[in-house]
This record gives sequence, C-alpha cells and structure tokens, in this order.
Amino acid sequence: MSPRAMTAVIVREGRIRATNSTFIFWDLLYPLGYLMVFGLGVNASMGFTSGLAGIDYNAFFLAGVLGMASFGIASNTSWSFFLDRDNGIFYEMLTYPLSRSEYLIGKVLFNVFVGLVQTLLTVVLSAMLLKVPVRAQGMPLLIGATVIGTSGWFFFYAIFALRIRRNDAFNTVTSVFYFFFLFASSMFYPLEPLPAVFRLVARLNPITWHVDVLRYATIGAGSPALVALEAVLFVAFTAAAFAGAMVALDRQG
Amino acid sequence: MSDTAIRVENLVKVYRPRGTAEIRAVDDLSFTVERGSIFGLLGPNGAGKTTTLRVLTTLVRPTSGFAEVLGHDVVRAPLEVRKRIGVVVQEHAAELLLSVRANLLTFARFHGQAGAAVRKRAGDVMDQFGLAEVAERKVQDLSGGVRRRVQVAKMFMVDVPVVFLDEFSSGMDPILKRAVMDLLRAQAIGGRTIVLTTQILTEAEELCDDILIINRGRQVARGNINALKLLTERLYDVTLSFDRVPDALSTVLAAYQATAVTVDHNTVQLRLKEDESRVLELVSVLAKNGRVLRVEISGGSLEDVFVELTQKGEAAT
Repeated sequence: MSPRAMTAVIVREGRIRATNSTFIFWDLLYPLGYLMVFGLGVNASMGFTSGLAGIDYNAFFLAGVLGMASFGIASNTSWSFFLDRDNGIFYEMLTYPLSRSEYLIGKVLFNVFVGLVQTLLTVVLSAMLLKVPVRAQGMPLLIGATVIGTSGWFFFYAIFALRIRRNDAFNTVTSVFYFFFLFASSMFYPLEPLPAVFRLVARLNPITWHVDVLRYATIGAGSPALVALEAVLFVAFTAAAFAGAMVALDRQG
Repeated sequence: MSDTAIRVENLVKVYRPRGTAEIRAVDDLSFTVERGSIFGLLGPNGAGKTTTLRVLTTLVRPTSGFAEVLGHDVVRAPLEVRKRIGVVVQEHAAELLLSVRANLLTFARFHGQAGAAVRKRAGDVMDQFGLAEVAERKVQDLSGGVRRRVQVAKMFMVDVPVVFLDEFSSGMDPILKRAVMDLLRAQAIGGRTIVLTTQILTEAEELCDDILIINRGRQVARGNINALKLLTERLYDVTLSFDRVPDALSTVLAAYQATAVTVDHNTVQLRLKEDESRVLELVSVLAKNGRVLRVEISGGSLEDVFVELTQKGEAAT
C-alpha cells in the first residue's frame, strides 16, 4: 500500500467536497439534526421511551443516528462512482499510478474522516444539548465502530455501484436497502418487544450489529458478550464487502 | 536499455456480452513501438484501436497474448506500467467540480508531484494550452472543447515516458490542435513515446513516425507514411478545372479505372487506379474535349491507403 497514492485520493475527495459548503454542513450536522427532529420530537411530544430501564429515547436513538450516518455517507460516496463514470474520470483514474485497492481504500479513508468528525460532533452536542449520558470510556470503541462501520457500508454499496450501470437502478437499490436495513434493525427501537420473526431478521441484519456496538460504546446498553459477537460479525461483513468491492472494481475497464 | 517502448505479441481480446455473440475486438495483433517515436494506431470505427489501448493502459486484461510497456507486463505488473504512462482516454474525462488549476494539480499529485514547482508548472501548462484565463473556473462551466484541452494539458504536468492519446484532438479548434501537435512532436524529440489513435488521417500523416492500420482487430498494414503510400502505387488523385466541363466526360472516363468522380461547377476530381502514363493520357484526352484551366495530379494520401486497405479487408470477409 502506498501512502502517497492514498493521500492523492484523499486530497482529491477533499477538494471535491470542499467545493460545496452546503454539502459539508449537511454531512457534519445531519445526524444531529435527525436526533433533534426525530429523537427529541418523539421523546417530548409523544412521551415515548426506549423501553429499556433508565434510558430515554434520545439516549437510545443516538447510536441509531450514528449508524444511519455511516450508512448514509456510504451510499452517498458510492454514488460518486456514477458521477466519476459520467465524467469519464473514473476510467482515467484507473490508469493512474495506484492499485485498485489503494483507490478504494483512499476513497473510504476520506469518508471515514468525515464520519469521525460527524460522530464526535454529534456525540458532544447531544451530550450538551440533549443531556445524553455518553460514556467517556466508550470513546475508543465508538471510534473503532465508526471507522469499521463507515468502511463496511461503503464497500458494501460499492459492489452495487460498480456493477450497476444505471443511475436510476442504483437509486432503487439504495431505497430498498434503506427501507430493509434501517427498519429491520435495532436502529429505531429495541428488538426485545418485537415479534419473533422480525427479531430474527433484525438479528441477521449487519446494521443491527453495527448499531448495537455503537449503542454499547455511547451509553453502555446491551450485553457485552452479544456486542462482542456482533462486533466480530461486522468486521467479517466488512472484510467480505471489501473483497466483493475489489472483484467488482477489477472487472471495470 | 532496449529501444523498444511497447511490445505486443499475439494479443487477443474477446468480449462476451450476455445474450449476444462474442466479439473478437483484438485478434492476434503483434507490433512494437520504438522509444521516442510517435506511433499511430489507425482503423475504422470498431477496428479494435481503443481496446488495444485499454489493454496497454491496464484498463482491461487481454484474453490471450502478451503486452508490455517499457519491459513491464500489463497483466503481471500493471502498477509498474501505470507509473510510466499518461493516458488521454477517448471519453471526455475531467474533474467537473474542480477548477482547471485544481484538475492539473490533482493529476500531478497522483503522479507523486506536489508543491511550488508543480504549481509553477501548472501555470506554464495553462499558458501553453490557452487555459490561463479560465484557471479558476470549474470545468463543468466550460465548453466541451476546453474540457478536452484540460484533459490533454494534464499530460504535460508530468514526465511519464509513454503517453497514450485516444482521439486526442476531438473538439479542439484547428489553431490549438496545431499547437498541441507541435508540442507532441517536441515531446517525442525529447524522448517521450507517444501512441495515438485517430480517425483524422491528416493528423496521423503529419505526426506519426510509424503507423499501424488495423481492421476487425487485425493488422492490415504497418510502416511509416512513405512505406504505406507505396501500397497505393497506381492510385492517383487528379483535379481538373475547365472553363466548361466537357460533355464527353463520362464517355471518356468509361475507358479508365476511376474509383471516385466528383464534379463541382467547372472542377472535376478523380481518383484513378491506373499507371502514370494512363493518367497523363486521360488528362490529354480530356484537354482535347475542353479548355483546361488547371491540372493537379498527386499520389495517394494516407486516407486513400486507409480506405483502400480497410475496404479490401471488408470485401475479403
């Protein structure tokens, strides 16, 4: 792996992102906005609780919005493959002096950086504004879960973005993924009170693994043994998605 | 150090699109390119030029055969190849959201170059390509021709020894095209190897030291411009201007092998496949049938060679 090559990809992504300040603002603050509108709104106006003892809905939902943010960054970034392909630059870049894995990892590193800033900003502001009891000792795990989470979902989406040639078809795929992955998971609600079939599907959903780790890192909710298993499963999912994305990228040209 | 920059042996690339018959885009192609030369890869649409370039630039893997750039196998050592090449792909390729300057600097960074010297070089390159006035404008706001200029200008930001240009002049105005051709020639004199594809044959005729004509993925002809023109011996372009085109023109021409005849007002243009003496005889016969104001006879151009050879290939299949 050449740091020079990956730095070039990161600088490129940064230059492109820096051309649109609205984009930066949205990237960094949308999870917090979601927490404010959805979490605070549901919490205050409808009196919902998380259903878990001693945890209000804002605290419960914080991990959900962080997971959703990683998922969102990944889908937006993988969409950039279409933009690059339409601009012709995608094929030109494949002739630049970098390996295809360096290209993919460089692309994900920039987004991991954005994801980390976004996560830390959301966590700090939710602790200050919404009084979410964030655990300081969970920060290393939170950082790790954000890095692996953003990467895993990006590689996963990249498989589809690289294989599908039509932008509208990819948009349909992402809409289905949003619906399935987000709602059949522990993102918005605890799984325990749900019907058995729903619980089973949610337990097999990688976003549940990701969100459960984030929840444990931020507020300490969940069984450490289950969270450890879910963390291992999510790392395996990320590795498999990377391999899949590499195969898809190798077939380009 | 070998004098060969590129070596291609028995290269085959077959595409197998789902649900349709396989396409043999490159079919047993072999050639070499000398260092510091300008090599033209010519052929009609679908001849396999771009596929050959895509193999050489490591974008696609060949089905079989072998290709190397500066001694590095395009399949086994693609990264080593990429470190030594610059590519202008056929599609318009630019970072649309970035400024012209940022496009040049971003490209240079991928080749490991950054800092004040590169920024200065970007200024010089923009001056050479007439881009200085739009240096800070986003490429998405520029015309297609200017975008193409940015794309070609990037090749002058780095000193890679081999440059591939796929239809580089598309969308360029004639003045800029001439300037770029001069720059390319200077680069080749400086030792850079340039491989280009083009359908504009005058471009190849002016630029290329060595030309390979392919059709249906196979070699049709190979050599420098003079060697290729020998292939069109007995092929002449004749232009005659009369004060009035003779009524007997078609009767006279019936006795000769004219492969193309155009009449525009009082000017007749002929392409003849005849011996030189027969061509002169025809001019003399026509002169007896009308007052000739101007006569121009020239040997076949590269375009004639191209049409002749590719049509021969089509007829043979």
